[in-house]
Amino acid sequence: MAMQIRNEVLARMYVITAMVALVTVILVARTIQIGIVERAHWREEGKKERVRLRTIEAERGNIIAADGSLLATSLPFFDIGFDPNSTAMSAADFDANIDSLAYCLATFVDPSFTPGGYKAYLLQKRAEGARYVPIKKDVTFAEMQRIKQFPLFRLGRYRGGLVVTQKYKRQRPFGLLAHRTIGYLRPGAQPVGLEGAFDEVLRGKGGQQYMIRLPEGVWMPLGDLAEIEPQSGSDVRTTLDINIQDITENALYRAMERHRATFGVAIVMEVRTGAIRAIANLSRTRKGEIWETYNHAIGTRVEPGSTFKLAAIMAMLEDGCVDLSDSVDLEQGRVELFDEKLEVKDAVPHQYDTVSVARAFQISSNVGMVKLALKCYGQKGQAKRFIKRLKQFNLHLPIGIEIEGEPRPYIKDPDIPADDWSGATLPWMSLGYELLLTPLQLLNFYNAVANNGKMMKPYLVEEIQRYGKTVQHFPPVVLKRKIASSATIGKAQRLLREVVEKGTASKYKSPHYAFAGKTGTTQLDYRRLDDRTEVGGYQASFVGYFPADNPQYSCIVLISHPRQGGIYGSQVALPVFREIADKIYFTQLQLHQPLNSQPKPRLLVQQLPDYEIGEKRILKQLLDQLQLPYLERTDSEWAVLRAVQTDTLQLLKRRIPAGSMVPNVVGMNLSDAVYLLENKGLTVEANGVGKVVRQSLKPGTKVSGQTIRLTLR
Amino acid sequence: MNPGGNIQAVLRGDKVIWSVVLVLSLFSMLVVYSATGSLAWRIASGHTESFLIRHGFVLAFGWLLMYLGHRMHYLRYQQAAPWLILFTVPLLVFTLFMGVEINGARRWIELPLVGITFQTSDFAKLALILYVAREVTRKQDYIKDFNDAFLPIIVPVLLICGLIAPADLSTALLLFFTCLGIMFVGRVDWKYIALLFLLWICVFAFLVLLGEFFPGVVRVDTWVNRVREFVDNPNGDFQVVQSKIAIANGGWLGVGPGNSIQRNFLPTPYADFVYAIICEEYGVLGGLLTVGLFLLLFFRITRLVTLGTKSFGVMAAAGLGLLIVMQAFSNIAVAIHLVPVTGQNLPLVSLGGTSVLFTCIYFGVILSVSKYVEETARTVSEPSAS
Repeated sequence: MAMQIRNEVLARMYVITAMVALVTVILVARTIQIGIVERAHWREEGKKERVRLRTIEAERGNIIAADGSLLATSLPFFDIGFDPNSTAMSAADFDANIDSLAYCLATFVDPSFTPGGYKAYLLQKRAEGARYVPIKKDVTFAEMQRIKQFPLFRLGRYRGGLVVTQKYKRQRPFGLLAHRTIGYLRPGAQPVGLEGAFDEVLRGKGGQQYMIRLPEGVWMPLGDLAEIEPQSGSDVRTTLDINIQDITENALYRAMERHRATFGVAIVMEVRTGAIRAIANLSRTRKGEIWETYNHAIGTRVEPGSTFKLAAIMAMLEDGCVDLSDSVDLEQGRVELFDEKLEVKDAVPHQYDTVSVARAFQISSNVGMVKLALKCYGQKGQAKRFIKRLKQFNLHLPIGIEIEGEPRPYIKDPDIPADDWSGATLPWMSLGYELLLTPLQLLNFYNAVANNGKMMKPYLVEEIQRYGKTVQHFPPVVLKRKIASSATIGKAQRLLREVVEKGTASKYKSPHYAFAGKTGTTQLDYRRLDDRTEVGGYQASFVGYFPADNPQYSCIVLISHPRQGGIYGSQVALPVFREIADKIYFTQLQLHQPLNSQPKPRLLVQQLPDYEIGEKRILKQLLDQLQLPYLERTDSEWAVLRAVQTDTLQLLKRRIPAGSMVPNVVGMNLSDAVYLLENKGLTVEANGVGKVVRQSLKPGTKVSGQTIRLTLR
Repeated sequence: MNPGGNIQAVLRGDKVIWSVVLVLSLFSMLVVYSATGSLAWRIASGHTESFLIRHGFVLAFGWLLMYLGHRMHYLRYQQAAPWLILFTVPLLVFTLFMGVEINGARRWIELPLVGITFQTSDFAKLALILYVAREVTRKQDYIKDFNDAFLPIIVPVLLICGLIAPADLSTALLLFFTCLGIMFVGRVDWKYIALLFLLWICVFAFLVLLGEFFPGVVRVDTWVNRVREFVDNPNGDFQVVQSKIAIANGGWLGVGPGNSIQRNFLPTPYADFVYAIICEEYGVLGGLLTVGLFLLLFFRITRLVTLGTKSFGVMAAAGLGLLIVMQAFSNIAVAIHLVPVTGQNLPLVSLGGTSVLFTCIYFGVILSVSKYVEETARTVSEPSAS
């Protein structure tokens, strides 16, 4: 019986064990089926869109001025959002904090809500199952830090549901200053300025990070670290001097307003290096506002007009066909050439007949210049020599500034039929017409003259920096070691100085320093008819450098279409040049002779206070305050301060006799003397200021109510 | 001094079962460490170690309970069984109506003062299995009788399972089948057991109906959805696909400890889909080892039954062993897409405080039985050998 029971139990147990074993076999088979047999299929499945590579934006480098001031920088901004249904957020946390969170948000972030209203809003969003509720956009780092500390949010991304998205915004601490030169990047638009030209450097390298999608649709970084850390961009240190830029832009702005001009350009360049210290472009918009809308300094070619006469006269000087002391007949400012087909007039009417070439240049005589040009190059086939000289001055080449958009100069060539060379071309070219240059190209030519013939390459970028350290330095580049002979350069410098001293610019010469340059008044939108010229407007310009005897900066000011307050270069552009030059000259200490250039005197005994007599308490107070070390050699109430040896101060005893004897007050100041004497019962009469040098009663005299006279000096 | 002997003196009972528990515990530490990566990312800002340390403490505490449990004579459990049952019923009722709701199911209650939530069905499983084992043993003389044996045993079973089912159908089913298993081994007439299957279908139908009227109480929606997902998607839904990808990633030998990729995609890689992570990191071989360990465990329990057939002890051991193995297999079956998603833990391996502790207690009881059964077998066989 017992055995039967035992067998039945065992039999049934074996049945169950067999079933377990059977299930085991099924599980094993199925595991092998999935893991081995169907392996390829499931692995393929696993690769589908659950991992993606996210690009992490790198911080863009700064554009900085020569002194390190930030011209353009990227500031981090944050979009703050709230995930009210974050999977890791517990209901307890939410309920416990929602009131204070709503209070904080309504108080500090969005006052248009009441705390109750904000709470209701958040509760509603939570109930709706929303995963993102925008809190605030574009908050600063500091504000983001504060919001992070709000109740609930301080629990973090997952438990607190705080979603912070970082982005960078380009900021210009100096506003519109050098706007076009600094430039910008805008999606879908041509990159502009340094931002465009140095984008590669500034941009840095975006990082990459694998993100995986969690089952609830949340993307989580795979691993804690970025696969490729983003590399922030390098900084571009420009040559721009923030002060000079400010001076330049302001001066130009005022002139733009005063003359209601269409656009204006001003560039300041360092003579020795070609570093551009300021570049200002102001245009009048359709609405009448003045704005930097285009980099005319670099990108706009103009007919330079009279400022080009320098190139013309230098060509003639180089060819030796003219000298400054030669004379030329200005025919009272009007001449007709080529059988009365070409009339040349001087801009300002005058009564001069025969003057020196130098004088003709000073007063910018068109007649003189045309006659000289025709004399030198008027013969058939000679015009080529003129063009050759211009090419010698590099005037046919672009300078290759870093920023995009510099056009080639346009200089006609008699050998090229397309250039349509005519008999009138040479005379017009000598006056700066029928050719095109950008303001910067023209300035560069003047700069070479100021730099004794050495032509530097104008540049805007000094170096590339990373974390304040120089990565790449761009030294000044010499474009041409000598554009003309030293004699010619010397004469050109003399001419330019004389224009300011006694020529067209003389009205604006400075009593404090000499500058040199050339005015220009160019006709714009003209139509050259057979008998006359129709003019649509003018362009006033001045190009020069300062100080004339030791050129530091060259500068061009060009104002297009002045509509009021004059049209001439000397009226419109020159004052701007002068204002810029003045302000730079007076603020640049290195341009001045120091007044105290002698060696500094040593501090000796005579500089130390000697023979000061007074109450010791007061003297000590004084010395302490002056932080002068001294030796105290007395414990009496009154003391005399002596500078013994060369560097030691000592407080010595000054005996003031008690009782009714007249004390010695010589050396004291009046208040001390009066105090002492009147206490003794004397009447004091004082004369003069300073210290007592004489007293009428001898020390030691018995006091009996006398009057004592003190002489002070 | 012989350390092996020392261990033998301290840890008595079936050494193979002890080894199985040890290997599973080690597995648990390894897998939990790598599987909690994404959980740690979301909750503890990446500090996976915090989960590992906590889990380590739970396991150590579990081993302590197991040790204490196996020291106790198993007859104590027999005595305690009716009281445990009495305590279980109100506990389950309380859970059903007042419990903490997690993921839409009320399976947990929060212990006052300590602040730990625990799944009351874990407790009910222990109580019911001990009770059924006790009743089956006591009623051996008239076990084939319907009124005197079958009915008194089955009523508490139905009651307890009925109380668990609304919130946790799969656990109720597992427990029910376990009890049937004990009754089957304990010689209850198989015709009645077959009848029970029929009854169970009726109960299930009733619950579905109940859920229609009281959607808050019974999770009919979830069951229906899960079964529908299982039937509709031959490849399984998102998480099952992820699980298969994990197993496929592993191949034969696995990608190595801590290198799992799929842990990031599986919703609960440290619990429901821990088998997938084992297969990914330790390969199909690691998976087979896991299955094999549970099979080995059941073989050892079968051996126990052969040593002492009649006692309460072997019935309880068989019941608890069956429960552990069935739970393990249903967990694995979910991961390899054989059954719909159930939410069963892999015993001892999955992360989960009270579930690990109770599993350790189950093992404690089994080891206690093995200890006394082996000693009895030795004392019986030795004289006959002499």
